[in-house]
Parts: sequence; C-alpha cells; structure tokens
Amino acid sequence: MQSLEQLKKARELAWTDGRYYISIIPAVLPIVGPNANASVESCRWGSDFLEEAFASPIWPPDEKETCALGVLPTLKDYLSAVDDPITVKSTIQVAASIYPLVYRYIISHPNDEEHWQHMTAIKEDILRRMDTAPPGVRICCVKFVQQVVLVQTPGMIADPRRPEQNDISLALVPRDHRLLPYAQLEAQAHGLLDRLLDIIHGDHSDALLITATLNCLGMLIQRRPLIANRILSGLFSFNPSKLANSPLTPASRLALKSIERTTRALLVNVTRRANDPNLAGRINHYLERMSRPRTDVQDENSKKRPAPGELTDGLDPAKRQRLGATASNGSPAIPPLPAGPVSYRDLFLLTSDPVASVDVSSLQMEPERMLDILTRLLTSVDRARFETALNAVRGRYLTLSKTAPLAANTVVAVDDEDEYEPDFEPEDAEQLVNRLDNAPPDNLLQERIPSAPLAPYKLPDAPPLTDQEVLKYGEMTIQRIFGMLNASEEYSMKAKAAKGGFNRLAASSYDRDSWVTILSRLATRATAGLDDPDEGIKSEQGSFARKGSFAISDLIREYLHRYIMYDWRKRIDAAVSWLNEEWLSDKVQSMSLGMNGNGSVNGHATAASPLKGNYFRCALKLLDSILPFVEGTDKVMLRFMSEIPELNRELLRRLVKMAEDPERVGLSIMVLKYLYMVKPPARELCVELLAEMWRTNDRARGPAAKELAKWKPEVLQEENEVQMETTNGAAEVTTS
Amino acid sequence: MATADPRLRSRAQQQQPAPVAPPPPPPPPAETTPAMGLDGSGDAPESSGTSSDDSFKLKFCTVCASNQNRSMEAHLQLATAQLPTISFGTGSLVRLPGPTINQPNVYNFNSTTYEAIHKELADQNTQLYTQNGLLNMIGRNLNIKKYPERFQDWMPGKPRLDHKGDQGYHGTESGVVDVIFTCEERCFDAVLEDLHNKGGRMNRPVHVLNVDIKDNHEEARVGGQAILDLALSLNNAASEERKARGETGWDRGSGGARQGFDEKVPEIVAAWQERWPTLPALWSLAWF
Repeated sequence: MQSLEQLKKARELAWTDGRYYISIIPAVLPIVGPNANASVESCRWGSDFLEEAFASPIWPPDEKETCALGVLPTLKDYLSAVDDPITVKSTIQVAASIYPLVYRYIISHPNDEEHWQHMTAIKEDILRRMDTAPPGVRICCVKFVQQVVLVQTPGMIADPRRPEQNDISLALVPRDHRLLPYAQLEAQAHGLLDRLLDIIHGDHSDALLITATLNCLGMLIQRRPLIANRILSGLFSFNPSKLANSPLTPASRLALKSIERTTRALLVNVTRRANDPNLAGRINHYLERMSRPRTDVQDENSKKRPAPGELTDGLDPAKRQRLGATASNGSPAIPPLPAGPVSYRDLFLLTSDPVASVDVSSLQMEPERMLDILTRLLTSVDRARFETALNAVRGRYLTLSKTAPLAANTVVAVDDEDEYEPDFEPEDAEQLVNRLDNAPPDNLLQERIPSAPLAPYKLPDAPPLTDQEVLKYGEMTIQRIFGMLNASEEYSMKAKAAKGGFNRLAASSYDRDSWVTILSRLATRATAGLDDPDEGIKSEQGSFARKGSFAISDLIREYLHRYIMYDWRKRIDAAVSWLNEEWLSDKVQSMSLGMNGNGSVNGHATAASPLKGNYFRCALKLLDSILPFVEGTDKVMLRFMSEIPELNRELLRRLVKMAEDPERVGLSIMVLKYLYMVKPPARELCVELLAEMWRTNDRARGPAAKELAKWKPEVLQEENEVQMETTNGAAEVTTS
Repeated sequence: MATADPRLRSRAQQQQPAPVAPPPPPPPPAETTPAMGLDGSGDAPESSGTSSDDSFKLKFCTVCASNQNRSMEAHLQLATAQLPTISFGTGSLVRLPGPTINQPNVYNFNSTTYEAIHKELADQNTQLYTQNGLLNMIGRNLNIKKYPERFQDWMPGKPRLDHKGDQGYHGTESGVVDVIFTCEERCFDAVLEDLHNKGGRMNRPVHVLNVDIKDNHEEARVGGQAILDLALSLNNAASEERKARGETGWDRGSGGARQGFDEKVPEIVAAWQERWPTLPALWSLAWF
C-alpha cells in the first residue's frame, strides 16, 4: 500500500508535464510488473497507468515510441500471467496505443527482431481472445484490431521528406523489409477488417460490441479512403432492425434504438466529411430505409414522451380529462329498428327512453308555442350528438330504402314461398336499380320524399356564340397569351438554364419557350386535319373569312408572326421552333392522308405546288418580312436559313433577290455556301441559284465564281464558252 | 401542437405561461424537493446516498446545449454525491434568454465566466432575470465551476489541473471520463459526431448515455435526479466488478458477478428506463 501511495504521487507528477513519463515509467515498471509478488491491485494500477500514459495527448509521440519498446515485456506478462479482466482490458488498450509506435520503429529498424517478436506475441494473444473473451475485453480487442487495420493498410503520404509527420501506415513500409512483409501485412489487415465487419453482421443482441465496432469504423473510413468503400458497403448491408424480429423486451428495444442511432451518427459523420454527393445519396437512402421499420417497431417508445397517465376521479365527470373520444357518453347505443313495416316515428326514434313515448299532439298546444320550444331546443343541442343522431337516421333510411322494395317483392311473391332462398341472388345490381325505379311508391316513406321543397337551381344557358364572337373572344385570348409572353420575356432570358435535351418536356416550365411551343402547337395542331386538304390555302394571307375555328389558327399564326417581327433578331429561335412545328404538322397531315409528300424532300422541293400546307407559306411570309431589315452583317440570317426544316426554290430565290443590294451580296453568298455545306439535300438548289446569281448579278460575280469553281466548275466553263462564242473570245476569263 | 392533442388541451391551459424562450431559465434550486413531478416520477427510488469516499469511482461527464441548466444541475447532483464529474455544452455559443425571444444573450464558451455573465445580466435587468430564474441559475453555476466549457473544444486526456476549484473535481484530474451523460438527442448526436472527428486516438472506451430532459428548471431537476440514479447504478456495477474479481480472481465469481461492467451497462440502462419511463434513454459505446 505504501508503494501505491508513491505511485499515486508519480502519476500526479506526470500530469503536470507529459515529459516526466519517460523517467517515471522505467522506474515504475518493476513495482507494478506482474512478475514478483505483485497484487492484482498493483497490476491494475500499472496497466491503468500505462494506458493513461500512452494515450496522453501531452506526451509527444516520438518520446512515446522509445518508451514503448521498454514496456513490451511487461505487457506480454500482463496478458499471459494476470487473470484479471480489468488489467487485461487496460493492457489491450495500451497495446492498441503502442502498436503503431512499435510498427513505425520497426520500419526504420529492420534488424530489431526481438522487439517485433514481443509485439507479435502480444498481437497474437489479443487476436486469440477476440472471439472468446468477455464483452468488456472484446470491445478493447476490437479497438486493437482497428488500430492494426489502420497501420497495415496504405494511407496517404502527406510529406515524404518528413516521415515523422506522416500517418503511420503500410505506405511507409518498404517492399523489401525484413520483418514486415508487405503483402502479408496487407492481407492480414483485410482479414481483420472482415472480422470487424462480421461483428456488425453477427449477433445483433450484443449491442455493446456492435456500437463499439461502429464507433471505431468511423476513423478507418476517414483515414483510409482505400478501404472506405468496403466498409461502407458492409455497413449498407447491415440491418439493425433484424433484432426486431425476436420478441422485444424493453432492453432489446433500447439496444435496437441505440444501435440504430449509432449507425446514423457514423453515417452522418461520413457524409459531412466526404463531399461526395453520390455517397451522400446512398447514405441518405440507407438511413431512410433504416428508419422505416423502426417507426413500425418502436411504436410508443419512438415518441418522445407520452402523455402522463390519467389520474382521475371516476365519479366526478367534471374532473375527468377529456379524451377526445366522447363516444362513450356522447351517443347512447342506437337501438335497431323494429322488424316489419316502419313508421316515421320508428325511423326517427333513437332512444328507448320512455319519455319519448309521450304523444305531443295530445298536449293541445298552439303551433307557435311548439315552434318556440323547438327552436330553443335545437339551439341547445350538442352539435356532435346531433350529427351522430342524424347519421344514424340517415343510415336507417338508406338501409330501409334498399330493403323495402325487396320486401315488397317478397310479399307479392308469396306463392313461391317455398322456393325462397335467402342466399340466392338472382338479380345483379343493375336489375335491382331498374326494379327500384319501376317500383310503385309502395310505402308511406317514399310518398313524402318528392315534397322536398328545393329543386336545384340552374343558370339559364347562355346564347350560342356567333362565329364573329368566337373569333373575337379567340383573338382576345390570344392577345392575352402574347401579353404574357412579352411579360415573361425578361426574366426567362436571365434564367436560361441548361436544357434537358431529349428529356426536356415541351412547355413544362411556363417560360417564354414553353408559351411559344404551346402557341405554335395550338396554331398547327389544334385544327389540323379539319380543313379540306385538297383546297389547301391558296391565298398567302390566309383567309379569315373562312370558318371560325380554322381562322383561329391563322390568327395565332398572324400574332406569332407579329411577335417575331417585333424583335426578330432576338426571337429568331421562336421563329425556328414555330416553323418546325408547322413543318411537322404538314408532314403528319400529309402522311395521314396517304399523300406521300410528293417528292419534296428536305430542300428538294421541285414539286409543282410548293405551297401546299402551311409551312412554306409561313416561312416565305416571314422571310419576306425579315429581308428588308437584314443587314450585311446579320449572321442571324445564316442561322435562320439553316435551321428551318425545309427549303425550296422560292425561299432561296429571296436570297438572290437580296443579293441585288450591293451591301448584302456577301451575306447571300455566305448563306448559300453554308447551306451547301450543311444541308446536302439543298445542294443542287444552291448551286443552281448561285449560278443564276453569277449570271445575272455583276457584283456577285466574283465571289460566286469562287464558290462555283469548287462546286460546279462546268457552269463557269460553259458560260465561258458561251461568252467566248458570242464575244469572239474577247471576254475575260474570270475563273480565278 | 398541444392543442392538436385533445388529451393535452387541459394541461396546456393549466400551464399556460410556459416558457417559450430557447434555453432554460429555471429558478434556483429550492431546498424543498417537489412533492411529485408532473409526470408522476416522484415515486421513483430516491436517489439517496453518495458513493463512499475511498472506493472506486467511475468518472462522469454531463453535457447539454449551453452548459447552464441541465448539465449543470446534473453536475451539481453528481458532485454532491461525491462522484467525479465534469460538464460541457455542445452548442456553438452559450445562449440564454434575453428580454425578448429574438434577443437572446449570447456568450462565448471557455472564456466567459459565470460570474461575468451573472454581472452582465444583473446590470441589464435585475428584475427580469431574477423573475425568470436566470440569475439564480447562474448564481448556482458559479459555485460549481468557473466558466461554461464547450464539448468540442475539450481535449480528452489533457490533465485538468487548472480546474481544482470545480465541484466534482476530485478524480477528474487526468482529463478522461468513463461515462458521458447527454441531456437531449441533439447533444447525443453531437457528442458521437465529435468523438468521430477526434478519431479515437486514445483507444479508450467511453459509454455515452442520453437522457432526454426538457430544458426547464423543473425537468432539469427531475432529470438530474434520474441521472444521479443511473450514475449510482453504474458505479455500483463497476465497483462490484472490481471487487468480485479482486484477490479471488474473476473466474471464481458466479452469475451476475461474472459479468463485467461494460456488458452490464445496457441492462442497467434498461432497468433504469423502467424506473424513469418518461425520460427516454439511448446509449452507445464510443471511443476517446
């Protein structure tokens, strides 16, 4: 005991400065070592002291390392010679603390076989205990195993120049180390990790071991990214609610809750550290799944605090807590209807109280007084009770109205009495209803029903709209939509988010694009197929004089046209999407009519009637409107011409026309060139028109010839020949 | 909430001036114990007795949000029972009710002493803070220790020699504990989270137990008793373990004595939960 006092003093000294440990430990070991006549008490003290020393954050790790070698034999003796779990526990904790230190020492001292053998012996001893020791010791073994896994798996090398700063891990071990075979250590670490994961998949009743394991897996996930995934997938297949299958005692319910809470804390911590949204998603999914069975299982205990038990004076209704369920005193049991024919009195009589049998009509009262009493009565009636009573009567009436006709029927068919089978249901529901309809108002109840005073009030039908009105209101609607379109313009420009490609749902976001889509579809599809396809639309302006509904389409087209022209450079995308809708609608219609778009392939519209359908009409009109405003530098023209779905000679001829303006020659040729390059079906047409330009437009001659030389030199050639013939060879050759 | 549940309606009316302010303003610990807790917990076993002075003692730590009300009440009760105790808060700041719900008084952990807080509040509005019990609470606290401490800033294993004057100091010098009591689930989660962050470098197991206590004076007092009850049960089990396996050797014990302290903890908590059904418990074995 004397020595214990001294030891206490030594311990207190070490608290003041961790550096004293280095001198205290060697001095203390002989006293507390398990060898001589040491008592259990002193062994406990010794292992405790060592545990405290090597865990101490105020003692620098490099000093710990030198000291650690000296305590190895003592630890080994504690494990082998002392049969006290408390000592063993502390010893294993010390071992967990010094294993990394000794490991690092051996890395730099590959010839120090003796110390490594001690360490290995301790490690093997601990691993042997891991499955059989009492739980209190096992949790310490788990922690030790976690430390072994930590140092025997490769970690990150923060700074190769300063090894003492690095995390102690397998990455520090040279491949040719004498005592530390790399592959073997790694394999062992993986095996041990499996053992750790087996614990959480094993017997779930041992919540102590499971929470201990869960709580030490966190640091492995955090510091060893290489094995983090394996641990996490192990965790994801962990199902704490398995325990819930066995009968739940309060203790096991608590254990279940605690395990779940610990898992949750671990995973939430992992999510916070790893900035991986993918992982976070998986973890959230898992946590959600985990919490689901819990809410089923844990019923009342999952709520924080139930209302305290009721302490009531059962005799005094005023002192009773109101428990919501007023049914018990609120509505007395409703007696069933008496068998046989039912009178109104029977129907409405809900109580068996003899008071109810008083016949009021015998009291000889004036109706006014009676009314007075009744209204007073009605205002004082408890609403809930009144409702239940009403419902009861309603229910009675319903059953009555169903059974009554049947009953009547059976009465009529009295002769067939012996064939009567209550289970036999010869009529289906429909027949029954029919019969009910035909049935004479055979009892007094049904006679009175029609006298219910209120007939449903119906608004008179509005007079039908005339065509003009339809048109007028239609136009107003369209105007309003376009008003909305203009209003949504500004912010939709700002919030131009990335589009979802094919996954995008048209018109789902209420921005400008959606409205344009809606409008152009309204214009193109709403009345598609209703008009006479053969008639087509001959006049370019469309005719509002035609039947209203079709005119609406053209009205929308007109407004779309105006809308685009209002700011055509910015709204060219709206134009393109509108024209695409037009084209699609034309296509679909012609296909549905079995008219295979008479050879007007993309840009190849050599057919005689190019204006069939709406597309070309609208495109041409739009182009005509745009052209006066196009400047020589408007690249948007390029875009427009290349993005509209189909080209024909009419459309392209407008470019030739545009080229008559000397400032816009370049643009014309650029458009043609671009179309030649990106729209193969339109190639022939482009060449043809370019040749035309070359022939007819002096200003376009130079640049056009340049392109023609590449695309179709024979045009130039033949032209040259013609010229040479006509001018007798005097003309210049402009082939350069 | 309260009105949604018809069972609670009458109660809500009774208690109406219920404190809505965030943290606790309990009146000072009156000398008389309440005759019976609202929740009928008055008949729980009187957490009598202290652990004898020279025997083995577990080291405890109590944690709440601001290290003012619940953790300090429990700290006081444990320390009074001669158990080594330290206490912490897990919030980012010490928050106390202010003149209105939107103007809480906020202080830094670890640097603002209870005395300074007391003085400031007394200067601000003595009458208000006396009436809502804040001054009394802080007055109690400044007799327990110097300043509120934040759990996340605590370095376990660092000797706490500079806390000599604190109540329950004796036994906590080494700066580690065996059991952490948290007073609400949020703190329980915060403690587990912080221990994960600290990385378990000491390889030392610690039992983290949560006892859900509402943040007001009355509940803090009842909760403190409950925590003391639990602490004494745990301490008994731990010293039994040491005795049973003393000179005789552990394998000669039998039955319950054969079991170690750690594995008994779940059972002890479960048994305690039956005694205190209104204070839901949780536990976990974590690592320093």
